[in-house]
Amino acid sequence: MFHARTSGKFLAIVAGGALLLSACAGNDSASNPTASGSASASAPASAPAAQTITYSYEQEFHSYNNNTAAENATRNAGPLQRVLTGFWFFGDKGAITPDKDFGTYEKTSDDPLTVEYTISDKAVWSDGVPIDCDDVLLWWASNSGKVKGFSSSGTTGVEDTKLPECDKGGKKFSLIYDKPFADWIANGPGATAMLPAQVVEKQAGLSEDDFIAAVKATDAKKLEKAIKFYNDGWISEGTLPAADLIPSSGPYKLSKMDAGQSLTFVANDKWWGAPAATPTIVERVIALDEQSQALQNREVQIVQPQPGPDVLKQLQGLEGVKTEISDAYTYEHLDFNFDSSPFKDKALREAFAKCVPRQLIVDNLIKPVAPESKPLEIRNVAPFQSNYAAVIAASGGGAAAYAQPDVEGAKALVEKAGKTGTEIKIGYQTPNPRRTAAVQLIIDSCNKAGFKVVDKGSEDFFGTVMPANGYDVALFAWSGSSLVSGWGSTYTTPVKCDGENKGNNNGCYANKEVDALVKKLNSTVDLAAQDPIIGQIEKILWDDLATIPLFQHPGLYAWDEALQNIVPNPAQSTITWNMDKWSLT
Amino acid sequence: MIVFIARRLVISFFVLLAATFIIFVLTALSGDPLEDLRQDNSPNKDLKIADRVDRMQLDVPIPIRYLGWLGRLVRGELGVNRDGQDVAPLLGHALSATLQLVLVATVMAIIVGIVIGIVSSLRQYSGFDYSVTFAAFICFSLPIFWIAVMLKQYMAIEFNNWLKDPGIPPTVIGVLALLGGLIFGALTAGDRRRRLIAFAVGAAITGALFTLLSVTHWFADPGFGLPLIVAISAAAAVGFTVLSAGLRQRGPLYAALGATLVGALASQVLGPLLANPTWLEILGFALVTVAICVGLGYGLGGIQRRQAITASVLTGLFTGALIFVDRMLQAFNSYSQAVRGRPISTIGARTPNFVGDFWQTNLDSAGHLLLPSMALILVSLATYTRYSRASMLEVMNQDYVRTARAKGLPERSVVVKHAFRNGLIPVTTLMAFDFAGVIGGAVVTENVFGWQGMGNLFIKGLKEVDPAPVMAFFIVTGTAIVVFNMIADILYAYLDPRIRLS
Repeated sequence: MFHARTSGKFLAIVAGGALLLSACAGNDSASNPTASGSASASAPASAPAAQTITYSYEQEFHSYNNNTAAENATRNAGPLQRVLTGFWFFGDKGAITPDKDFGTYEKTSDDPLTVEYTISDKAVWSDGVPIDCDDVLLWWASNSGKVKGFSSSGTTGVEDTKLPECDKGGKKFSLIYDKPFADWIANGPGATAMLPAQVVEKQAGLSEDDFIAAVKATDAKKLEKAIKFYNDGWISEGTLPAADLIPSSGPYKLSKMDAGQSLTFVANDKWWGAPAATPTIVERVIALDEQSQALQNREVQIVQPQPGPDVLKQLQGLEGVKTEISDAYTYEHLDFNFDSSPFKDKALREAFAKCVPRQLIVDNLIKPVAPESKPLEIRNVAPFQSNYAAVIAASGGGAAAYAQPDVEGAKALVEKAGKTGTEIKIGYQTPNPRRTAAVQLIIDSCNKAGFKVVDKGSEDFFGTVMPANGYDVALFAWSGSSLVSGWGSTYTTPVKCDGENKGNNNGCYANKEVDALVKKLNSTVDLAAQDPIIGQIEKILWDDLATIPLFQHPGLYAWDEALQNIVPNPAQSTITWNMDKWSLT
Repeated sequence: MIVFIARRLVISFFVLLAATFIIFVLTALSGDPLEDLRQDNSPNKDLKIADRVDRMQLDVPIPIRYLGWLGRLVRGELGVNRDGQDVAPLLGHALSATLQLVLVATVMAIIVGIVIGIVSSLRQYSGFDYSVTFAAFICFSLPIFWIAVMLKQYMAIEFNNWLKDPGIPPTVIGVLALLGGLIFGALTAGDRRRRLIAFAVGAAITGALFTLLSVTHWFADPGFGLPLIVAISAAAAVGFTVLSAGLRQRGPLYAALGATLVGALASQVLGPLLANPTWLEILGFALVTVAICVGLGYGLGGIQRRQAITASVLTGLFTGALIFVDRMLQAFNSYSQAVRGRPISTIGARTPNFVGDFWQTNLDSAGHLLLPSMALILVSLATYTRYSRASMLEVMNQDYVRTARAKGLPERSVVVKHAFRNGLIPVTTLMAFDFAGVIGGAVVTENVFGWQGMGNLFIKGLKEVDPAPVMAFFIVTGTAIVVFNMIADILYAYLDPRIRLS
C-alpha cells in the first residue's frame, strides 16, 4: 500500500518541521544569549517585591459588610480585621482585647449596666470624615433589631440596650442595658462592626442630620434606601465596590480585587495609630490542598491548609518554613438523644461514656496531626483559653472518671439495667472519614460492653435525621467562643422538643439547675465571677452526662521563616488579626 | 441550508428550555441548602436560616421558583446566589477565566494531536507509532490531579530551584541525547543502517545542543539572536514550501525565503517599535506580514502562485512568531528577577499587582498558564492522536488515494490534498464537542491550579444546592453545545460535498 521511499522523504520533512516547532515552543534551541536589536533593555518590572506579604485563604472575599446574616463569615471577617477596626477585637488566642487606638470603654454602673464609650479624637475614616456619632447610630440601628429591615447576623446583647445618646460629631456615647449582660465587654462595636455612615447617607440621599434623626426615631421608612444599601450595596462580585464606598478605619485599606485570584491591601495613610509594618498585603484564593506547594514555590508566604499527617510532613520537610499546629475553637463531641432513645436512662449513658475510647480516638485520629493533643475535659472553654484550668478545677474534674475506657464497668452497668444487646444508632454527617473511623473505634469498644452500636452516618444527617431525633447518639462538632452568651441555650431546656423549638439543644437535654445557672451566668457582668459558674455547669453536665466532649480540632499553619510576628488565631478574626505587625526581614 | 439551520435552532431552543426545567429541579432537589447552617451553633442560627430561606425562596414550591427564575431570565436577569451576589458578573469572571485557561490548551492539543496522529498513521506499526500510542494511552489514563501535583513539583518548584544555577549534569545530557537519537531513529524511514545513522546523528545533535545550553547558562537569560532566527526561519520556509507546493518549481521557495529575509530584516528595523507594544500593534504587524507575504508569493510564485502565497504567508507568520518568542525570552531574565527568581507558578492566573511592560506581563501569564496547559494537553492529546490516526489510516486505504497514486501524483499531493482533508472530517465532530466542553470548564484543573472558572461556578453552586449559578452555567454551556454542534454540521457540509449536495 505504502510508497516507502517517497513517503519517507515527506515524513522526514514533516518531522523536521515538527521538531523545529517543538524546539521553539520548548525554548531549547541553541543560541547566543545576546539580545538582538536595541530593545534588550526592558523597562524595569515591579512586582510584589520585598514590601509585600502574601497569604492564602481558601475562600474569596465577598463583602465589606461582615454584619449581615449571609455575609457574617470568616471569608470577610479575616480580611477586614485591620481595615475596619472597633473598640475591641479577638486578639491573641481568641481573647477579647480592647483596641486602644480606636477608643476606650469602661463599665460605669452595674445597675442599670452602663458602659461608656469614647472614640479616639484622632479616629477618622480614610476619606477624611471623622468617626463619630452617626457611625455609632448606624451600628446600633443595624444590630439592635429595633429598626426593621436591617439584615443582621445577630442582635444578642445589643437588643437589650437603649438608643445611644449622641449628637452630630459627638465621639462619646453610652450603652445602657435593660438587664445585666455577661458579654458586655464584647458587645460594643468591635472590629468589622463599625461601618461608614457617611457612605450610607450619601447612597440614601440623606443628610447627616436627617440620618441621625431617622435612627433616633427608629423610622424604618425614612431609612429604607439606607437599609437597602446596607444589606446589599457592599456585596462584591469579583471586583471591589468603588473606592469611595469602602473607606478604611484601620492600618490597611482594600485597594484591589482580582476575581477568583487575589485581594490587595495597601497601608492607609490616614491611619492614626502605629503605621503598618508592611505597605502591601495580598490575600490569594487557593484551595486547601494546593496551599503547601504554593508556599514551597513562594507564591504565598503564609498558608493554612487542611490539617492532616501528610501535609504536616510535607510542610515540615520544607526548608525555611515554620510550621505551627494550634487548636481551633471547634471541638468534637458526642451528643445524647434524651427525647427518644435508650439513653434517657442515665445508667446507659454512664455505661456508654465508660466504653467510649476517648484517649484512643485522640491517639489514633488526632495525634498524627497534632502530637500534643489530649482528650477534652470540658465543653465550653477551649484548652488554649486562659481560664481553662480554672474552670476544670471548678468543675471537679468530671472527665477523670472517663479518661480511659472501662469496658468491664460499662458491661456491669448494662447488665444491671438488663439492656444487654441494646441497639445504639450513632448518627453523623457523611462523608467524613475521620468520623467514620471514630465511630468504628467506638463500635469496637462498646460492643464489648454489651451494646450493639451501629454506624448510622448519613448524608442528610443535619437536614432531616437530627431535627427528627432519628439517632441515639450524635457525633459532630461545635465551634466555641470566648463569649459566654453563645452557648448557654445549648443546655437550656427547650420549650418543646421538635426541630422548630429545640434550637441548639439537639438532644433536648433538660435540667432545671442548669437552666438557672445559665440564666445566672448570662447576667453576671463581673468577668471573674463567671468562671465558677461555668465550672458548676460543667460539673452538672458531667454528672448528667449530657454530652461527651472528645477533642479540640487542630489547626495547621505554616509560613516563610523570613516573616516576623505571624500569630495564628483560633477565633473568626483568623491569622490576619495582627497583619499590620507582619514584617519581612 | 438556512431552513435547516432555522429548524435546528427552533428545536434546540425548546430542548434547552425543557432542559433548564430539569436541571433546575434536579439542582434544587440535590441536597439540603441549609446544611451548613444546621451545623452552626451560634446564637444567630435562626436569623441566618431565615435570611437564606427568604433569599432562596425555600418556602416556595420548586416549580414556582423555576417560573420565577424563568421570568427573571426573560428580563435578562440571572438572579443572585445564596449569599446575595449577582450571578451575572460572577458568570462573566468565570467565563473569562475558563476561556483563558482552556482555549490555548485545547487549540494546542488539537494541532499537536492531529500532527502526531497523522505522522504515526503514515508510519503505521513503526517504533514511532508504537511509542506514540503507548505514551498517549499512559497520559490518557493518568488522573489529572496527580499529573498536576507532579508538574507542580518538577516543572515549577524544582525547575525554579534549578534556574538559580542552570547547569545540566552530564548524565542528564546523556539521557536527553539518547532520547533525541531515539526520536530521530524512529522517524526515519529505511533499513537498519539508515536508522542507526539517524539515531547517531540525532543523539549527537541533541547532546551538543544541551551541552552548549548548559555551558552558556542559556536558561538563566534565554533568547535566539538573529543568526538562529534566520536559520530556523529558512528551514521553516523550506518545510512550508515542500508541504504546500513541492520543490519542483523554484518560485514558491523563493517567495518563502523572501518572507524569511523580510522577517529577519524587520526584526532588526522594528526594534524600537517592539520595545513595549500592545496586542493591537502585534495584530497590526501580523496583518502587515500577511500582506507583504501575499505580495511576495504573487510576485515570485510563477505558475504555482497560489501555493507560493500559502508558503510565504505561513513562513512570514512563523518568522513573526519566532521574533515574538525571542522577545519574550529576552524579557525572561528581568521578569524572573521581578518575581524573586521563581518564574514558573503553581497557582493562580497572574502574579497579584504585577506591573511590567508588554513582554513581562505576557511572560507572567505564560508562567501561570504553563502548568495547567501542559496538564490539559497531556490528558486530551490521546483522543486527538487516536482519532486522527484512525481516520487517516482509513482514508489512506481508500480507492481514490490509490487512483491518485496510480496517476502519478507525488506523495505530498496525495497526503496533503487528497487524504488530509478527508481525514479531518470525523475529527471535526470531536473538535466541535470539545470546544463546547471547554466552555464548561475543567473542574479539576481549575481547582488544582487556582482558577475560578466555569467548572468551579458549577461545582460550588451544586454543593450549595443553589440553582442560580448552576442555571447560569447551564445556559452558557447548553447554548455552546447547541451552537457548536451546528457549526460542526456546517463544517461537515463544507468539508464533504456529498452532504452539501444531497
